[in-house]
Order: sequence, then structure tokens, then C-alpha cells
Amino acid sequence: MKDSCSSISKLLERYFDQEVTDKERVLVEGHLHGCPACRDALKSLEELSTFIKVPVEEAIQKEDFPWVWQKIEREIRLQKKLTWWQSLRSWIDISPLFRRKVWIPAVATVVVLLFITAQIIFKKTPSYADASVVEYVESETDNVMVYQLEKQKVTVIWVFDEPAKDQTTS
Amino acid sequence: MKRPFFLLILIVLFLSLFFSSADAQVQVRLRAIHASNSGSSVDPSLRDLHKELGSLFSFTSYRLMKDETLNLSLNQPVSVSAREGRIVLEATLVGLHKNMPEIKLKVVREGTEILNTQVRLLPGRTILVGGPRHLRGGVVIYALHARF
Amino acid sequence: MDHEETEMISRCQQGDQEALKEIFDKYHKKVYRIAYGVVRQREGALDIVQEVFIKLFHTIKNFKGRSRFYTYLYRMTMNTAIDHARKTGKQSVSSLDAEGSFEPSDSVEKGPERILLQKELEERVKRAMDKLPAEQRAALIFRDVEGLSYQEMAEAMGSSIGTVMSRLHYGRKRLQALLKDYVGLHGQGRDSSDPKKQNLPGSKKE
Repeated sequence: MKDSCSSISKLLERYFDQEVTDKERVLVEGHLHGCPACRDALKSLEELSTFIKVPVEEAIQKEDFPWVWQKIEREIRLQKKLTWWQSLRSWIDISPLFRRKVWIPAVATVVVLLFITAQIIFKKTPSYADASVVEYVESETDNVMVYQLEKQKVTVIWVFDEPAKDQTTS
Repeated sequence: MKRPFFLLILIVLFLSLFFSSADAQVQVRLRAIHASNSGSSVDPSLRDLHKELGSLFSFTSYRLMKDETLNLSLNQPVSVSAREGRIVLEATLVGLHKNMPEIKLKVVREGTEILNTQVRLLPGRTILVGGPRHLRGGVVIYALHARF
Repeated sequence: MDHEETEMISRCQQGDQEALKEIFDKYHKKVYRIAYGVVRQREGALDIVQEVFIKLFHTIKNFKGRSRFYTYLYRMTMNTAIDHARKTGKQSVSSLDAEGSFEPSDSVEKGPERILLQKELEERVKRAMDKLPAEQRAALIFRDVEGLSYQEMAEAMGSSIGTVMSRLHYGRKRLQALLKDYVGLHGQGRDSSDPKKQNLPGSKKE
């Protein structure tokens, strides 16, 4: 039973979350019929879920969202101003240049500019030797060190895992 | 009619510039290693790394826990767990530029993200991500190597 | 995503506020549920709902349709709620004399002692949830409050299913430890002798 409990316990949470296959479900339910310990474990999961869910359900039932949409509308109205892109677009819309038949040379100019820009972009790409291996590294919980061995072509990213660290609210 | 045509040309040009990264897929060899001071043996499959491991760390034993080839597609995270599921390494291909895959790596320890990094896997280069403690002493080290 | 919703989002992306109102009508309750799940307080949750829809109006142009719209919205809601909780700091312990905390109608059905216990439990749950790392808290709320599948949660959280399962597992484990005085005490009636009498979860949804 112990071995069986050990393998079922790995499935229990997925079973509770309804993320098991039919075969796994039959296995778990078969085990639960004869194992009070696992049934208790499942019950604990249900209770925990109830603690998390019920206050939210009660709150939403009581809530009538007074004036929420009106406040959103007002805030958007206050924040509304033309961004530089919108100004540019409005300029393009009314510009007489685009009403006349000058778009062919305009397109040709854009194509040439793009070609030149692409050349510059690709030229700036560093060679393998110069390209940095680590773009960024971050950790909210531990200290991290980055170390490179050029000769052996190895990069080390090391997390200093402190033992028995208390987790605080992030 | 003219504006959509103009936009279409721009779209085609940009697509052609970035076409190679749209279909990006890369194979990465990932080995999860248990490094400790219990015993003094090096797993035969880690022979190619033995010299580097020896020069970087002072552990006496290196045991291979997992050896997988990950097929990474753009923006599709893939995770590999070690230490009986307590440590999860999640790898996501975020770009492919001139055959150099850019990979975002996250290490999650017992549900908490302890490392978030982005690396470029250059040809012939190995990335070692390590440090999280193993239950049976020592640490877990992940070795990544792109298959070009 | 159905055609109607695609059309609604497209209009909103072009600055149509009427389209935003339609999105609001469809999703504001879901957004509130997630917000309340995080902050466990009415005023804070309403502020978050407001903030989310204002933010959505300005950033919906960035939604490319690569994921489902509701996972995009849920992610925005969770990030906003967690930022809000962080900014406002640890919530002061809600006083039983505080306005709105005592519903006169409750006393008719439950009795003051039971309400006190319930309030105490809610406060304990809130404090326990506050102690969880943000990602674990988010996982529990997406799963237990919103009922998202692992796949949907992975989309909403921008991580893999393995990571989602890990966060759920360790979040529940931590919460059980923090609420060990309550788990097993306040559950529904248990009939351990006949499991068939219990409504066992895990049966696939229709």
C-alpha cells in the first residue's frame, strides 16, 4: 500500500485538478477506495481550494461594480492626447504628397534606404569571437556569478543557493 | 489601392529579412549533472567535460542524471526537471541570429524562480548553469551545448 | 477566439471605446475575481479592475493574437494585482468593526461566533497567501479561483506546464503548512467509510 500511495500521491494533485488521463483516473479512484490516507490528502486539497475560492465567490456575488465603467471612461478621456505617432499618421493622411502620383519614387527611396540600413545592421553584428555569451542574468532570491573560460570555451552561471532560506513575499 | 500596395512592399521586405528566424528551431543537448564530494568518479558520458569541470570546480564526483536533446522552437518553453522534480530548468528559444541561438533559461526551485538569464549558444561553446543544492549533498549543474 | 471577439478586439485596437465597453461587460467579473483573489479586499480589487481596463485600452495594440485573449488579459490582471499588493504593502488586519465587514443579515443565519471564526479564517488565508511568492500565488488563483487548465495557466503565466505544476504543488504545500490549524477542521462532512458517497473530483468535464 505504501508503494502504491507513493506513486498515487504524485498523481493526486493532477487528479484533483482534472488533468489526468482516463487510465490514470481509474488508477487513482481504484486506490482511493481502499486508502483513507490518500482520501484525507485529497480532502485537504479540496479544503484548501475552498479557502481560496469561497471568499472570492461571496465577494463577486455581493458586488455590483458601482460606477466602475464610468470611472474608466473618465480616466481615458483625461489621458487622451495625441502621441507622436498619431500626429505623424494624421500628417500622412492629409499630406498632399500622397494624393499625387509620387508614390513610385517614394517607394523606391524607401526600398533603397532599407537596403542600406540592412547592410549597416548586418555589418554591426559581432563575430563569433566577440559576441557576448550572456545577455543578462537576474535572480531575486540568490547571488549569481558569471565566469568565462575563453580557452576551453566554457561559460559558467553559478547560483549561490543559500541553505534554509526564508521566502518572503515577492 | 496605392497605400495597401506600398504597405505590402514594406511587409514583403521585412518578412524576407526576418524569414529565417520565423521558422527557427534548434537542437540543444542538455545534461543534468550531480556534482558532489561523495566518492571520486566521473560518469563516462561526461568525459568530454571532465577537464573543464576539474578546472572549474573542486568536486570529486560527477554523476550524469539526465542527458536529453531538446528541440527548441521559437517562443515554446521546454522544461527539464532534476532532483526529483524540485529543480526545473526551463529553456525557451527567443531568437536565432546567424546560427547562434539565443536562449532564455529559467531555473525554478520548488516553485520559486531563482535564476532568469538569456544566453547565446556559440558554436563549440558550453554553458554550465549550476548551484542549486542536491538533496543528497552536492549541487546540480546543467550543461548546455547547441547542436549545429 | 470567436469571430465576434476578434472583431471586438480589432475595433478596440483602433481606439473604439465602445469596443472596450463590450470587453469590459464580458470580462470585468473575471478580472475582479483574480484581483480579489490577490488582494482579498473590495476597494483594492475595484481599483485593480479600473486600472486593468485603462491599461488594456492603451496596450491592446500589442496583442497579436498569438495567445488567447483571455489569457493575455488574465496575465495583465495578475501583474497589476501583484504590483498593487506590493505597493500597498502588507494590508492592515481588517478590524471586525470596519465598515462592510459585518453583514447584519449574516447574524440571522449564522450567529456572531461563527462569523468571527469565518472572519478569522479569511484573515489567516489572506496572510498566508501574502506570504507565498508571487508566482505560486498566481498559480493558485488561476487554478482554484478561475479554474484554468494547466495549458491555459502556462499561457497566462508565460511558462511551461512543468513549471505551472511545480508552482501549484509548492504553493499548496506551503499554504497547507501555514494553515495547518484549519485544514481538516473546517472541511465538509467526511464519510471516510464509503468513498462513493463523496463527490470525488477528477471526473472529466463534459
